[in-house]
Amino acid sequence: MEQFFNVTGELLVGFSQNCEIFALTLLMAIPLGLIISMGSMSKFMPLKAVVKTFVWIIRGTPLMLQLFVVFYIPSLVWGISFNRMTAAIIAFVINYAAYFSEIFRGGIESIPRGQYEAGQVLGMSKSQIFFKVVLMQVVKRITAPMSNEIITLVKDTSLARVIMVPEMLKAAERFTMQGLIWPLFYTGVFFLLFSGILTLLFGFIEKKLDYYKI
Amino acid sequence: MSFLQVENIKKSFGKTEVLKNISFSLEKGEVLAIIGSSGSGKTTLLRCLNFLETPQEGRIIVNGNVLFDGNDESKRSESAIRKNRLHFGLVFQNFNLFPQYKVIENLTLAPTLKAKEQIRKNGSYKGLSSMKQANQLITEEAEMLLKKVGLYEKRDFYPCNLSGGQQQRVAIARALALEPDILCFDEPTSALDPELTGEVLNVIRGLKSSDSTMIVVTHEIGFAHDVADKIIFMDDGYIEEEGTPQQVIDNPNSERTKEFLARFNQFGD
Repeated sequence: MEQFFNVTGELLVGFSQNCEIFALTLLMAIPLGLIISMGSMSKFMPLKAVVKTFVWIIRGTPLMLQLFVVFYIPSLVWGISFNRMTAAIIAFVINYAAYFSEIFRGGIESIPRGQYEAGQVLGMSKSQIFFKVVLMQVVKRITAPMSNEIITLVKDTSLARVIMVPEMLKAAERFTMQGLIWPLFYTGVFFLLFSGILTLLFGFIEKKLDYYKI
Repeated sequence: MSFLQVENIKKSFGKTEVLKNISFSLEKGEVLAIIGSSGSGKTTLLRCLNFLETPQEGRIIVNGNVLFDGNDESKRSESAIRKNRLHFGLVFQNFNLFPQYKVIENLTLAPTLKAKEQIRKNGSYKGLSSMKQANQLITEEAEMLLKKVGLYEKRDFYPCNLSGGQQQRVAIARALALEPDILCFDEPTSALDPELTGEVLNVIRGLKSSDSTMIVVTHEIGFAHDVADKIIFMDDGYIEEEGTPQQVIDNPNSERTKEFLARFNQFGD
């Protein structure tokens, strides 16, 4: 029993790192994703091309590789070194912002032109139309795909162990080396609980937004 | 000079000329109906008047103010267009209500934003200096308009809970909330079941008696005959024939107009 509490405590310390990566990634990747989506919808072709290429590279390479790149390349090339956690968060933010941007783009482009035109003939400015008319409808449309990505993010945070961030799986692996195998499987409980809470939360948001149909 | 003066409007999309040389005028309080087959340029003309499309050439003058001049770049700026387009209101074929807002909010949203801007810039909106007073006035006016279109009791409904005809009546009230000089309708009943067109047409008839200046693009020839003071028949980007309903619908001169109307009569309009 004492061993169980001991293991749980250790894993929780690790899990706090997962939670930190999760929260900071969400906080920064959502606004960055919005900016990237604007770039990929830009009418200025060079910008659009640059942004599209960036999204292709980020979505086309493994997140694990991106973690290595962010952690090792700056110190090898310029002699700057990030601490492990910072490197992990930079890689996660860039990776998730790229995915989010495509969800945002899909959501924004799915709003019928008539909604913009209705705003225009009522004398609203471009930003008023975006924030007062379009945005809420986009939020409703992207809730389901966003919840998918966000739940994936919960589990992806364990990838940070490849650059030695002491997250939960890393902690469990330490027990494995001492001959204790069950903590490795026990980590699944934490992930399940966390994603369970998120599922409930997204269900609640979808219900909240159900008062109107698009 | 007439209240609305449209001079030599030309508009093409790429190589396709949609409006070839459109000029007409309209007096205050008059109703103009534009008829013609699909693809004749009726909707494009209406969209040009509302600055949703920019003509390549021509002038649009309302009440002596030049709102658009193809030769004057300054009239094409974003801010000039935003200001000038409020002389016109537009009711769309498929309503385009804002789904996330209640009926009353659909009416008050744009006036509230306008009031906020005016109070910030000039210190007052319709003589009111605080947003609180302005909001009260805007809500009262919106409620009046809902009564006018017979939907006051649907004040707190969302658009998805209204029938098509009701949605279109809300859309008319929403356009009126900004007090446009000229209200335009783009085939306002084309997206409706036949049994729902009547209620929308009646609202438009009601507006005529309250002296609104209106331009209606429509396929309802009978309605156009009843309500319009003036009819324009468009064909292939030109005004083929114009005049009173009696002239254009009852005694058309042009062969194209005759052909078009014959097809309508054939189907027992």
